[in-house]
Amino acid sequence: MVLITVHLPTGATLADARRELGLTEEEVDDAYGLVPLDPGQGLYALRVTEPAARRAAPPGGGPYSDPPIEPFGPPR
Amino acid sequence: MRVLIQLRPDPDLVTAVATPGMTATTADVAGELPGVDLDLGFTPVVVPRARPAAPDGDPLSLHQPLVFSMAAEEASVLVRGEIADDESTTRMAMLHTRHRDVVGVYADPVIETTLTCGGSPPVGSWQDVERLMAVRELLAEGCDGTGVALAVCDTGVNAAHVTRKIGRECVIDHERSWNPAGVEGRPGAFEVDHGTMCAFDALICAPRASVIDVPVLLSRRKGETVMDGLLSDAVAAFAHLRTVLDAQPEDRRALVVSNSWGSFSPLWDLPPGRPGNYSDNPAHPFNIIVGSLAQAGADILFAAGNCGAECRDARCAYPRRPIVGANSHPQALSIGGVDTNGRRVGYSSQGPGRLSDRKPDICAYTHFAGSEAFGDGKPDSGTSAACPVAAGLVAAVRTRWPASVLPPAQLRALLQRTAEDRSDVGYDYDYGYGITDPVALLAALERRASAFVH
Repeated sequence: MVLITVHLPTGATLADARRELGLTEEEVDDAYGLVPLDPGQGLYALRVTEPAARRAAPPGGGPYSDPPIEPFGPPR
Repeated sequence: MRVLIQLRPDPDLVTAVATPGMTATTADVAGELPGVDLDLGFTPVVVPRARPAAPDGDPLSLHQPLVFSMAAEEASVLVRGEIADDESTTRMAMLHTRHRDVVGVYADPVIETTLTCGGSPPVGSWQDVERLMAVRELLAEGCDGTGVALAVCDTGVNAAHVTRKIGRECVIDHERSWNPAGVEGRPGAFEVDHGTMCAFDALICAPRASVIDVPVLLSRRKGETVMDGLLSDAVAAFAHLRTVLDAQPEDRRALVVSNSWGSFSPLWDLPPGRPGNYSDNPAHPFNIIVGSLAQAGADILFAAGNCGAECRDARCAYPRRPIVGANSHPQALSIGGVDTNGRRVGYSSQGPGRLSDRKPDICAYTHFAGSEAFGDGKPDSGTSAACPVAAGLVAAVRTRWPASVLPPAQLRALLQRTAEDRSDVGYDYDYGYGITDPVALLAALERRASAFVH
């Protein structure tokens, strides 16, 4: 899965995002939900399958990589 | 003994050694040298000729203005090898008489890094860090972390372990702690691990800060590999921290976010230049949310990473500029590591950073005997330990100077300006602006407060 971003009105839900972007339930990571990135700008992120991202991400909205992150210690 | 041999071969050979892409080997340059076991795996190196800058200069003195010539007719070439130990002085002296190209023979002594590396024993203890970070002075000024929220975004905290090791209570903010989706466990009651070390190290300078436990690295969201969390979990964690910040009274905002993690490899990222890339892309959602949270008043700190040139972590896969993504964010502090002797640890990542050039910002202490989260006698190490040490200092400062009085950008600038410069040139890519200096920082803050009063 990858990240995409979308501009929505304040207080938007994941269902709103799905509707706005034309995504099915299977294409979206439900547990992850709709995450506000910048409340002032109404910018949100969600996790979707790669094909869905390529089809549905708005201009400038991704898809963005979701790389693994690891602790920086102790050095191996 | 091992020796370096300086030769002045045919100019065409010098050109071949000096020209990138051309390959001239030790065998090409030196052929066979009697009594010398040449190191044929060593790539020959061109050495310029030094000449006096002035026409009437002394040709045998280096204590004058010089010019250096790489012209093929003037430059020489170094190769290396070994000669028998018996009569080594005589052999070195005689070598140039047996080969017309040899112009000098020098000892090639073993050089050993004295830098602290992964696997080295602890250098000093957390009490030394307490002293070096002037904790007594901080406490005397009322800077103990009271009322400050200190988020440790890591593998979860074991508060009982921290309390036992540090000898005072580790206060967990249960209400504002947060788990990524799918992560079970109660705040402050996770297995003793990396996050416990980070909490311990943060509380050295800010003993009364409230720890917000955010076990972002425990996530096992479905992906293609077994991994320690995904960046999307950090996005969600920072969104939660934004709600924490927004809920604080505007005139008393104090949220410090310590992040001792990052991305080791470009393998799972899109290449730089692609719109979806993370490492070099300010527009990636995580880099956006870091900027947004900092703008709202949070102090965000990231470990610079453990990919320093001298003894990098085996997982480091960025061939250059390993301080990537948010670890190099212009609105976050990127923390390098020094040992308690004030020397950069060999694994501390060096700049420049990818999102902003001047990374790391500053250094703090690491590789000391502290939490023993990894076992008895094992140091708190990595830039993972340096980051929360610095975060603790920031939390201590926030006790008296909330973000409404001292915005994060101004505090970052003060930390940079008051750091103890470790070079003669100001900023450098090893130490950043230098080692954090709490006494100088306090003095600068007091001067600033006086200026406001008057």
